[in-house]
Amino acid sequence: MRDCRGRPTPVAGRPRVALSSSPMVERRFPRDVASLEGIYGFIREFLAERGIGPDAAYDVDLIAEELFTNMVKYGRGGEPEISIALDWDAPTLTFCVRDFGAERFDPTQAPEVDTSRPIAQRRAGGLGIHLVRRMADRLTYGYDRGNVIRVTKRLDV
Amino acid sequence: MLEIRTPSTGQVQLVGRLDASESDRADQTLRAMNGPLRLDCSELDYISSAGLGVLIELHKRLVAAGQTLTLANLVPRVRNVFMYAGLDRLLNIE
Repeated sequence: MRDCRGRPTPVAGRPRVALSSSPMVERRFPRDVASLEGIYGFIREFLAERGIGPDAAYDVDLIAEELFTNMVKYGRGGEPEISIALDWDAPTLTFCVRDFGAERFDPTQAPEVDTSRPIAQRRAGGLGIHLVRRMADRLTYGYDRGNVIRVTKRLDV
Repeated sequence: MLEIRTPSTGQVQLVGRLDASESDRADQTLRAMNGPLRLDCSELDYISSAGLGVLIELHKRLVAAGQTLTLANLVPRVRNVFMYAGLDRLLNIE
């Protein structure tokens, strides 16, 4: 199994070798939209510890919410908790969400939202990934014992 | 957390964050209101696609009834989300 940077995860019993000066910080949250408050708190705490102000958190909160709620809605068969990991390598934040055991679901393949359509034909479906695409610098999908979505975003700090 | 205040008939203040954990409650509250409605968003700090969905459906319902929905005083971060979604041209935003 690989971590969110694509590196093999450490073998049990062997010490983790630090490959970066800023190790990813991971936390797991119950598969429920009620977890969002905790996720925002996790992001705020992570950024504050690195001297990054709350203004930068807005886009990160939105990316986190859209990807997490997608997994809550569509991650059939997934474990009760969803993993969120953050990494900071100035000025780039990496956000990784993993849904262990879930059926394959690749939101990067979702069709583009046609924003030129009249309001009568508009609905919320698909808007979440559309917003993530607009806000993220890079959005990638992989499958490794579950769905793995990774986003990188340069923060103005 | 989201607070929905109704200081007077037709006037609504959205205060806080309209996200997926608040969208069902917001939808139920707004569904009970008739237009014309003016939503003061000066204290709406955050909105996601779930919140946009609530406002899209509210707009459709009011327009179908011959009424109007106006969004006012959006803070720049929230206004950007409407713009990214292409809704700034479709909804009545002051």
